[in-house]
Amino acid sequence: MSDFLETTVDKFTFKVATDRFYNPEGVWAKEENGRVRIGLSDFVQQRSGDVAFAEIKPVGTVLAAGDEVAVIETIKVNITYTSPIKGKIVEVNPAMNDAPEAINQDPYGAGWMAIMEVTNWDVQRAKLLDPQAYFKIMKGQAEEEAKKL
Amino acid sequence: MMDENKKVIIVPCSGIGKPYGSVSREAAYEVTEDLRPGQTQLVPLALLVLGDEESRAVVEACPAVTIDGCKLGCAAKMVQQSGGTIAQEFAVLDVYRRYKDLKPQGIAELNEGGQKLARVLAEEVTAVVDGLMTREQGGENA
Repeated sequence: MSDFLETTVDKFTFKVATDRFYNPEGVWAKEENGRVRIGLSDFVQQRSGDVAFAEIKPVGTVLAAGDEVAVIETIKVNITYTSPIKGKIVEVNPAMNDAPEAINQDPYGAGWMAIMEVTNWDVQRAKLLDPQAYFKIMKGQAEEEAKKL
Repeated sequence: MMDENKKVIIVPCSGIGKPYGSVSREAAYEVTEDLRPGQTQLVPLALLVLGDEESRAVVEACPAVTIDGCKLGCAAKMVQQSGGTIAQEFAVLDVYRRYKDLKPQGIAELNEGGQKLARVLAEEVTAVVDGLMTREQGGENA
């Protein structure tokens, strides 16, 4: 069970899970028994809107950190997200085909996007944002978004 | 025969300025004006939000089909809060997932994909309306 950092901006509440790491655009990475699960943060999914389709790079794709890993089409926009880490995709969440709304419903759980095989997780992790650092960035982004409303 | 005053109420999304909301309203217009004008009545969501007594009375008396533009489900929520009974909830996004080539774009004027998606949605709503009318008639004849 994850713990969360939480903030409310305008009428929206955003959570940041504290058991994983993030890149600045809000893609999280969580190490699990030598592999790393990735997905989108709560703020990213709320800002993007209801997900219509999620296209994740297929199993076997080798990515560097910063390479395109997913294209998400929502009712508002099409957005490309980049991999937070270097590694090979070994599993794609079947829900991304069948029920991509899982990203909206449970971004830190059932809405995960892929599992990657990585080397040097400790080195890669050091280049990511810890939950507190991402929380600060996310809060700033949320406040900027709120000014546009 | 079914009570001729009893119609199926169609309540679309009121999301102005959003393609998915426009698709929901376009579908509602097609059903109520072209496909089943005698059996259906459009009730604007805004009137329910404002608590318009006439609209609330209609919604309380007749089965409703709601068409929401997003997962907030405002149309469905307002029908329930107005004391209505929802026979079927539709969400534009669910229909779009089944017709990926019909991506809705544009607001004041929907693109071709949006118009086709509205047509598909209208036909699905019409099928529900027909089912409700048939059940009503069957019930009255039983």
